[in-house]
Amino acid sequence: MNAVVLRRRAIDLIALVLATAATLFGLVCLVWILFTTVWEGAAAVTPALFTQMTPPPGSDGGLLNALYGSAVMIALAVAMGTPIGIAAGTYLAEHGRHTKLAATVRFINDILLSAPSIVVGLFVYEIAVRTVGHFSGYAGAIALAIILLPIVVRTSEESLRLVPNQMREAAFALGLPRWKLTVQIIYKGAMTGLVTGTLLAIARISGETAPLLFTALNNQFWNADLGRPMANIPVILYQYAMSPYDNWVQLAWAGALILTLFVLALNLGVRLLAKKVLSR
Amino acid sequence: MNDVSASLPIVDRAAVVAEPPSERPIKIAVRNLDFHYGKVHALKSVNLPIAERQVTAIIGPSGCGKSTLLRALNRIYELYPDQHATGEIAVDGENILAKGYSLSRLRRRVGMVFQKPTPFATSIRNNVGFALKFYEKLGRADMDERIESALRQAALWDEVKDRLNASALSLSGGQQQRLCIARTIAIRPEIILLDEPTSALDPIATAKIEELVHELSQSFTIVIVTHNMQQAGRVSEQTAFFHLGELIEFGPTSRIFTNPIENRTKDYITGRYG
Repeated sequence: MNAVVLRRRAIDLIALVLATAATLFGLVCLVWILFTTVWEGAAAVTPALFTQMTPPPGSDGGLLNALYGSAVMIALAVAMGTPIGIAAGTYLAEHGRHTKLAATVRFINDILLSAPSIVVGLFVYEIAVRTVGHFSGYAGAIALAIILLPIVVRTSEESLRLVPNQMREAAFALGLPRWKLTVQIIYKGAMTGLVTGTLLAIARISGETAPLLFTALNNQFWNADLGRPMANIPVILYQYAMSPYDNWVQLAWAGALILTLFVLALNLGVRLLAKKVLSR
Repeated sequence: MNDVSASLPIVDRAAVVAEPPSERPIKIAVRNLDFHYGKVHALKSVNLPIAERQVTAIIGPSGCGKSTLLRALNRIYELYPDQHATGEIAVDGENILAKGYSLSRLRRRVGMVFQKPTPFATSIRNNVGFALKFYEKLGRADMDERIESALRQAALWDEVKDRLNASALSLSGGQQQRLCIARTIAIRPEIILLDEPTSALDPIATAKIEELVHELSQSFTIVIVTHNMQQAGRVSEQTAFFHLGELIEFGPTSRIFTNPIENRTKDYITGRYG
């Protein structure tokens, strides 16, 4: 074997070893996080977790009020953010595809997509907390909706663009007006993509802490009134995990596990949906 | 208004004048039609009379502008901002390229079936009833009747009558294409444009569609673009041959195929290029 071949083989081997090591490093971190969360959290996942309120230090309790608060605020954020996001995505993909306005909107949306969530929290604090005078579930939902919005805009534009032009032409050839075509033909064709985008956006907002610290804050007690401060999993996690009380730390781990499993389930759902689309 | 021969090239003028395009009245008169895709000049001053309730085939090598002509006839090209048509396309004497002409009205009169079947992701019944619902307020019984008659006309009824609520995507390619035809004729257009309707189908499905085209020409004016010269020979009464965006020759199909006047037509038909 000559020197050139040997050298190439050596370079190949080095590259392979480095790439494998990088992959392993990433995977080990991920598995480590998952393992620690399950290990620490599993013990605290009891029926009480879902039936009792967050306890004062030193006594038993659950996360019911925080789970409820998170669920309600996420639901409200989705209800506010998805219609606007899908409508904007529809404009970008269908009506204004080649216009300057669309290019501008796309650019701004990308900025919003990577905006630090704490900035969003601060913004909502200024407009919906300071003006009202107190923290509230509504403000929390608004902050989450603002984070969710650009994700939905982006994913819905992309999934609408995937609908072949033939479909548009076929519907146009029947003389149907554009809105009818969009709502009844294009949305149907892009449904899986639209749902996938929404699920990904939910996964993203379900762990957001900073914007909720500024808006919904927290609540030690049961509260179903969105007009008042609301407990939620991320802020409870933040507060309890940093506390010196063992039972609070335990609950924080349990909350972390539930949050992780929820996001994991959403991502699995997304993968299943995507698979369904590919096999069609 | 039917005299479109004046602006044809010399050789063709002799041919068209000596041999009137058809004894039938002219349904569509294309006059001095130019078409641009951005900067590409795809149709160059095309003049073509299309006779009522006959099949007019448009043939020619790839990129000759045959599909472009079809896409101008119902202005479907307007979906794309960089495509423009200038000139005149008169349907029953009315210029459909005129700015004020309603697209909804145009497309109600001029239906189109595409190269690949394009069923909507819904039931067979809804595919046919979809546009019908938009144009006419019909009771359930009337609606069912119209759907049935469209499916019968498209020679699909017997195959789907027991599963009208099944997804249109569950049909075979040939059935999907006939469904698209049913969907088109359900709104009772006057003209049907077929853009290589069988190029994605197997020979048996193709034969069915060809038979159907022949049937439909009793009631509709049909313009069919095809790659397949045998098909043009089988289904059409008139044939127009396009090359590089120009109409080279137009006349009765039997004459075009047996005794073409232009050399380019002859070369294409005998398979010298294309």
